[in-house]
Amino acid sequence: VCRNNNNMASHGLAYDGCNFFRQRLVLSTLSGKRVKIKNIRSKDDNPGLRDFEASLIRLLDKVTNGSIIEINQTGTVLFYQPGLLYGGSVEHDCNLQRSVGYYLEALLMLAPFMKTSLKATLRGVTNDPRDPTVDMLKSTALPLMKKFGIDGEGFDLKVVKRGMAPGGGGEVVFTCPVRRTIRPVQLTDPAKIKRIRGVAYSVRVSPQMANRIVESARGVLNQFIPDIYIYTDHMKGANSGKSPGFGLTLVAETLNGSFLSAEMSSMPQGQGDPKLPEDLGRDCAKLLLEEVHRGGCVDSSNQSLALLLMTLGQQDVSKVLLGPLSPYTIEFLRHIRDFFQLMFKIEVQKPSEDERKGGDKVLMTCVGVGYSNINKTIK
Amino acid sequence: MDGKVKEQKRHQQKHSGPKAERKKLKKQEGSTEEDGRKRNPKAFSVQSAVRMAKTFHRSQDIKTKKHHIPHVDRTPLEPPPIVIVVVGPPKVGKSTLIRCLIKNFTRQKLGDICGPVTIVSGKKRRLTFMECNNDINTMIDLAKVADLVLMLIDASFGFEMETFEFLNICQVHGFPRIMGVLTHLDSFKNNKTLRKTKKNLKHRFWTEVYQGAKLFYLSGMVYGEYQIQEVKNLGRFISVMKFRPLVWQTSHPYVLVDRMEDLTDPERVRTDPKCDRTVSLYGYLRGTHLKNKGQVHIPGVGDFQVADVNFLPDPCALPEAQKKRALNEKERLLYAPMAGVGGVVYDKDAVYIDLPASHVNQQQVRPTTELVQSLIDTHATLDAKMAASKVSLFSGSATLDSTDVGEHKEGPREECVWDPNTQRKRRKVVFTEKEEEDVSGSSDDDEDGDVDSEDGDQEEQEEDEDEDNLSTFLKDARAESDETEKTVTDAPPAKKQKVEGGKKRGEESAEVPAFADSEDDLEMSEEESEEEGENVRAGDSGHCSEEDEEESGDDDDGEEEEDDKEESEDESMEEDDAAGATMKKQTASESEEEEEDCCSRHSALEFILLFPSTGGLRWKEGLQQKASEAFLRQQKAAPNLRKLVYGSVVEADDSDDEEQELGGLFRVSRPQNSKKSQANGVDSSRFDPDASHNWDLEEMLNSIRDCFVTGKWEEDQDAATLLKEDEELYGDFEDLETGKVHKGQTGDENDEDDADDDDNESLVKVDDDEVQKKKRLEKKQRLKERFNAEYDDEDATYFDDLKEEMQKQAELNRAEFADVDDETRVQYEGFRPGMYVRLEISSLPCEFVTNFDPHYPIILGGLGASEGNVGYLQMRLKKHRWYHRILKTRDPLILSLGWRRFQTIPLYHIEDHNGRHRLLKYTPQHMHCGASIWGPVTPQGTGFLAVQSVAGTKANFRIAATGVILDLDKSVTIVKKLKLIGYPYKIFKNTSFIKGMFNTVLEVAKFEGASVRTVSGVRGQIKKALSTPPGAYRATFEDRLLMSDVVFLRSWYPVSVPQLYNPVTSLLLPAGQKDSWAGMRTLGQLKHDLGIRNKPNTDSLYKPVVRAPRHFNRLHIPKELQKALPFKSKPKQQQPKGKTPRDLQRPSVIREPHEKKVAALLLALSTVHNHKRKKAHTAQHAKHKEFLQQKEKLEEAKLKRQKEARKKLYRIQGQVDQKKSRSSLKGAEEE
Repeated sequence: VCRNNNNMASHGLAYDGCNFFRQRLVLSTLSGKRVKIKNIRSKDDNPGLRDFEASLIRLLDKVTNGSIIEINQTGTVLFYQPGLLYGGSVEHDCNLQRSVGYYLEALLMLAPFMKTSLKATLRGVTNDPRDPTVDMLKSTALPLMKKFGIDGEGFDLKVVKRGMAPGGGGEVVFTCPVRRTIRPVQLTDPAKIKRIRGVAYSVRVSPQMANRIVESARGVLNQFIPDIYIYTDHMKGANSGKSPGFGLTLVAETLNGSFLSAEMSSMPQGQGDPKLPEDLGRDCAKLLLEEVHRGGCVDSSNQSLALLLMTLGQQDVSKVLLGPLSPYTIEFLRHIRDFFQLMFKIEVQKPSEDERKGGDKVLMTCVGVGYSNINKTIK
Repeated sequence: MDGKVKEQKRHQQKHSGPKAERKKLKKQEGSTEEDGRKRNPKAFSVQSAVRMAKTFHRSQDIKTKKHHIPHVDRTPLEPPPIVIVVVGPPKVGKSTLIRCLIKNFTRQKLGDICGPVTIVSGKKRRLTFMECNNDINTMIDLAKVADLVLMLIDASFGFEMETFEFLNICQVHGFPRIMGVLTHLDSFKNNKTLRKTKKNLKHRFWTEVYQGAKLFYLSGMVYGEYQIQEVKNLGRFISVMKFRPLVWQTSHPYVLVDRMEDLTDPERVRTDPKCDRTVSLYGYLRGTHLKNKGQVHIPGVGDFQVADVNFLPDPCALPEAQKKRALNEKERLLYAPMAGVGGVVYDKDAVYIDLPASHVNQQQVRPTTELVQSLIDTHATLDAKMAASKVSLFSGSATLDSTDVGEHKEGPREECVWDPNTQRKRRKVVFTEKEEEDVSGSSDDDEDGDVDSEDGDQEEQEEDEDEDNLSTFLKDARAESDETEKTVTDAPPAKKQKVEGGKKRGEESAEVPAFADSEDDLEMSEEESEEEGENVRAGDSGHCSEEDEEESGDDDDGEEEEDDKEESEDESMEEDDAAGATMKKQTASESEEEEEDCCSRHSALEFILLFPSTGGLRWKEGLQQKASEAFLRQQKAAPNLRKLVYGSVVEADDSDDEEQELGGLFRVSRPQNSKKSQANGVDSSRFDPDASHNWDLEEMLNSIRDCFVTGKWEEDQDAATLLKEDEELYGDFEDLETGKVHKGQTGDENDEDDADDDDNESLVKVDDDEVQKKKRLEKKQRLKERFNAEYDDEDATYFDDLKEEMQKQAELNRAEFADVDDETRVQYEGFRPGMYVRLEISSLPCEFVTNFDPHYPIILGGLGASEGNVGYLQMRLKKHRWYHRILKTRDPLILSLGWRRFQTIPLYHIEDHNGRHRLLKYTPQHMHCGASIWGPVTPQGTGFLAVQSVAGTKANFRIAATGVILDLDKSVTIVKKLKLIGYPYKIFKNTSFIKGMFNTVLEVAKFEGASVRTVSGVRGQIKKALSTPPGAYRATFEDRLLMSDVVFLRSWYPVSVPQLYNPVTSLLLPAGQKDSWAGMRTLGQLKHDLGIRNKPNTDSLYKPVVRAPRHFNRLHIPKELQKALPFKSKPKQQQPKGKTPRDLQRPSVIREPHEKKVAALLLALSTVHNHKRKKAHTAQHAKHKEFLQQKEKLEEAKLKRQKEARKKLYRIQGQVDQKKSRSSLKGAEEE
């Protein structure tokens, strides 16, 4: 007489193309919604998933339990049914096409919601010009997460070895404790920048390079603030990876403890025109100025992380002041709406006439979805 | 008597004299504790430090015990009606009580209580009554949504099982407020037994709920109703009751459905009566915010995707703010669509309730129902998303709108023909936006003059252009929009940046409110590809456009990068110049874009024009105004960024259509044609810098000067001003350091001054002082805060801080979206609790509709992020102590967990000391154990209860077990013990060859090094596999084995949990049989039903024990050893001697007859002699004995004599001695 409705009605989402691949997988994992991605480079000469994407999937598989991943023959269709985040000790050799930052950004979003605290050892390229480098994530993403209540003993990101772009050979250890809930934040006032710190690194080149970078960067920044200290980090021997290179990461810290950062690395060996360290330092400093111009309490590359943590917060109002939204963030917001049915209230704050505080800011407001870490065991 | 009282002398108070003075002094000083201390210091000294510590501890304990973990107060301003569930065994008077309460509150009579009945009980409180029948399914469901439980108990009978079952259900699912009500008290004739019963019942109730729980007594009935006064008291109790939020309820949205409509096409139902139904369900949203498109679980039916949610006007609204104390008749609303009182008419959008109460004023009834009706009606106008509804109900407004509005609504849709996607998309969201547009339009109309002249011009233009075949130029637009996008991308937006600082801002504020939204809407509908174009327009705010460009730049594959820089530059230049920004921008930009704009704007305009005709209902006007205000406000704040980001909202909402297209599980949320080319872009979070910013320029550098501490500070943060302020604030304080008393006074003075000032100002109403006033207020606020901080600092504990933090968050939550209109607010927050919502669910099983019974509650329980999935759950479980049997592993069990009721197969286990989960065959009797099931993912810490069957009512207690979820996982780690046994087939010293344990060499290889044991306790280890026979191995032991030994290996075998998740679909059963749901049977039941009896293993049967007598072999000691042993230890040979050898044998003597005679004589003689000797010997012996006796006597006599002689001697001697001593004494005396 009666039929059983045995299928749990949880539906999936479908997307076209490999764009914003990470966002989709990460949000799928967090929301428990299945995702199907079709037409991945289907028109391309070399169709299907790239190695680095496959590597990311493998990493996800390592930190989860019970995920179902199906990829078709050509690699143009991916079906992902997320399992539960497991965590624990994970080692992963990241594909060299993308730097560790690419993988680490995904892990940063997942790590607080694991069953057991995560200890991930990632090997590969630590610094390249395409993704946020490990140094930058360490100096900006971690303090940002601390504002959301993710901190404590084992919250750390350590650069054990540095590996520059084509060759890689770097190693990073990321440890993160688990949280049951994320607390709401009100980051509406970035306050003024009180100091600038930075790391100028060089591997397999003359240690003098780093000094030259520092010199030139200081030259630009000194006209704003005297409190600048840029560390030089020259790694030797086994810790220096397989390729030569150098770069600079600059971080501006404000009175309220928000961090804005900019960075620049030398082009990978054998690609593009080589850059003089002086130019690099100067350009990087200008990038920082650009970042300051954009402003906000969260720097441009961590916008999505901040928004995610706001989304996953308790059912309270969270506010964050951001600089202009990056395209990546805009897409992320759309994805958040798809996966969590959550929309942000977006208000533009324009600087007043006589203020000299850079461009427009965006005040993002949302009510968290009341996410609780269902993976964590209670005793 | 009275006279006497008056005569009494009154106390005369002394006004002068020493007594009065003393008293005065006392009064002045005040008898403080300190005073007492001075007078009697001993009483206040520390007597015992230990005792003091103890009392301190105790007081602290008591203090902290009172603390609850502070929660953020998330109750909405207008909370949903309180759900009152009336529970009790049958015939206890539940319906009567509800009827009486309703009559008490609303003065209306209801006949049959069907489904939830919502009433307005007071100015700030509404109540929903729900009767709970005796079905355990209903009890479970209602316990989860109840705020207050009225537990009816038949006092004449006492407690029944149902009561305790319900209490236990409540305990598991969060304890709602429970109030007991004793009925049938009139059946007691004897007052004493009545009192006694009351007391007994009360105390039992207290132990179950809590000490001092409220228990109500309803004495006899009058005309089939409870006594008015008692009901009134009960009502009063209910309306002042406070509730503590329950965890599950506050973390999940839920709806207790009070109305259900079948929206399925009747034709489909006719052709296929079993087809899945589309149903809309109505009710107040409770718990927390509900997101659209979420997942819900309907207990008794299953999980469903919500197709659409919208909110309707409140059918049972609270009265508007007023100063009166009581409600008037009109405001005493009653809403119970399911309650069939005579003629209930279920209509598409309205429900008519017949209220045949005689004493209710007819004239007043009508307006109330009309109000309800009109509210419902009007909701439908708003709720055009209900596309299915044909707006048939609006008799009045339909004619009006049908021509204009209808056409107009159609207009954009028909325009959309060019893009099938969007065409479909439009439908739902557009409507809501249109509402806004309407609103904004109207406001524009009002303000038209103010806005700006350009706008007017523009409108004219637009009107001219009108909708001359839009489709054609829209196509063009699409084609060229790509180009424009690219141009925009490539063009360095430097100029725009510069513009930012300039006029633009001013312009925007004027321009944005008028059109931004409406444009976007239509844009959205038109096509995604236009998004960018729109953005350019929208991008008057500098960075918006930047992002746009960057985005598009990113997204673009960069294939056709044609540099149309000039164009964009032109555009931006003009933007610079533009006064009426939108207009000019458009003219500047590509014509197609402009045209699009025009269309959109035109449509908006038309709405504006049309609006007056549509606005027929009064309440709607108010709404409109409110909404328009909100809209304007909102627009001021958020120009187009929201549209840029969520421009695709429209699509998302329309995705059902796409869903249909795909016909599968999946939903395309962003089917953007333009995006397809970008679909495979680089995935990086880097935000490339704006190329236009040249950081070598001084001007650029200056633009961020103030971001650094070295820059200029704000007024309120500048060190100098702060210092000054401090002086202002503390100026008074500084001179107060001298005396404490002054401190408060000065502060007060300040406040008073301020207050006075304020008053004055308000009286005089000086306009120019506005700023000053504000400043003063701010200052006051600061002062207050500072005072508070200082004041609280004294005993500010962690708890206080936490509470304050929560308080602040709660305030923020309330304030953030308070002034946003509901349509928009719903998008940000989700639907907030307290709203009356309508949820549309497609593909409900037809039985849900055909077997609908309003007596059974329909609950829509919202599910969290991944609560729609299934997985393994690990929980802690305890058999209920009142359940009479233990539970067996793998017997199906019905669990109530979260919203769900489902059947599953649990495996019970217990954790060993090393963390291993060992399978148990049965639950322990009085202990917790673990249980693992395959079931719906539910957050940890959620309680559950288990029953073995939900069918029928048994006499026994039905709740089998209770517990809590501990862990969720996708795999389980339960193991059971497995003993592998083998037999030795060859035994060396300590090495044996064992066979029969494994089958192959490989298996052995896996267990190399594993420890084995014999039954007799000899331990050993597996060493290596042998080649033959397969599976045999060599093992060493600590001792030699016997061939009869059995070797076993103890191992742990992982057990898999059966994946059974079978929701209890009791609501789908036909009416009257809803309590007869039967799921999978247990093995025992199956066998019982089928009459199968297991053939027992013959080995397990008991047989008489036959024991063969035990034969022991002799102990054999080797000869060598025997030889070596000392004689003592040598085994003694007890066996008879062998035959004496012949040489040792002596010949026997044969006597002669004579010799025989001699021998016989000698024998006789010796016998005689012996006899004689014996005789003599005895005689001699007797004689000797006598002699000895004599001798003894003599001896005795002699001893006696001697003793006497000695005695005599001693006496004499003693006398002599005495004499001597006496004489010596005398002599001494004499001397």
